[in-house]
Amino acid sequence: MPGLQQIRYASLHDVELAGHAATGDRRAFGELVRRHGSAVRGLLRRMGAAPAEADDAAQDAFLAAFERITEFRGEGTFGGWVKRIAARVYLRRLQRERRLLAVLAEGAAEADPAPRGEGDAAGLIDLDEGLKGLSPAERMCVTLCYGAGVSHGEAAEALNLPLGTVKSHVKRGLEKLRARLAPGDGAALEGRRGNG
Amino acid sequence: MAEVDFERRIERLFADAPAFGDAEAFAQRVERRLDRGWATRRVLIGFAGVVGGVIGASQLVLSNFATDVQAAAAGPARLLTAGVSQVASQSDWMSALTGAGNVVWLAAGLAGLAVAFVITRMIEEI
Repeated sequence: MPGLQQIRYASLHDVELAGHAATGDRRAFGELVRRHGSAVRGLLRRMGAAPAEADDAAQDAFLAAFERITEFRGEGTFGGWVKRIAARVYLRRLQRERRLLAVLAEGAAEADPAPRGEGDAAGLIDLDEGLKGLSPAERMCVTLCYGAGVSHGEAAEALNLPLGTVKSHVKRGLEKLRARLAPGDGAALEGRRGNG
Repeated sequence: MAEVDFERRIERLFADAPAFGDAEAFAQRVERRLDRGWATRRVLIGFAGVVGGVIGASQLVLSNFATDVQAAAAGPARLLTAGVSQVASQSDWMSALTGAGNVVWLAAGLAGLAVAFVITRMIEEI
């Protein structure tokens, strides 16, 4: 049975909770973790992290977010803010362990045939299945741009790749996803995200 | 237009967080790590305070603080008994006090306390 304080926190908006957390209130920040933990963990798994590694990186990301909570001013969503932190934490981890280049150089996995999407409820399953059919670099770029909300330019900087390469990965990744999620519509995709 | 629609759809799919059965356990692990970090910080602050206090106290003791206090107390007492007409003797007492090398140690002790305070505040900020 949740305590009174937890019930009180559950009724607060993210920005209010972040304000409490900025004063050192760790329980308020815990409520933010409850709300956004799954999204962050899911994002990191979609970037290609193994479950245990994704959870470790997600924990580190939330701790980093707590340390920098005063920088969150409510201009965007807290979820988007913490996802960008998590993506950077995971990429730094890969760079520190000298695995980033190897990950980006890996070829596409052999994708299992996936059920076709019948709408977004079924598409949720399809997205994770569809991502498995992308190369690690494509998966990383697509997830960074569409899951973490970073621009192509920011993704290029974070991955230490040329901007054109990132755009190509995104374009190919989206084409593969489209083929798997919505067969029959083979029109080429032009990446429209990012600031070039 | 179809491309934009598809991109919107992809964004929506990414925005839908997968459900994890251990979501509560994950949140509790993060909270425990936050608590642990906070406890460590408090220990460091306390340790810095103790170290600073010991350094300051040792400086005060080494500077014969008690003797200085006695001298300082004796001076005004003499002044009171001597009366207002002997104000000149106050300047003698002051010059005697500032001339003492122990005052340097006293100042060093206070400076040590100030440094300890600053370090404590810095650690608290970190």
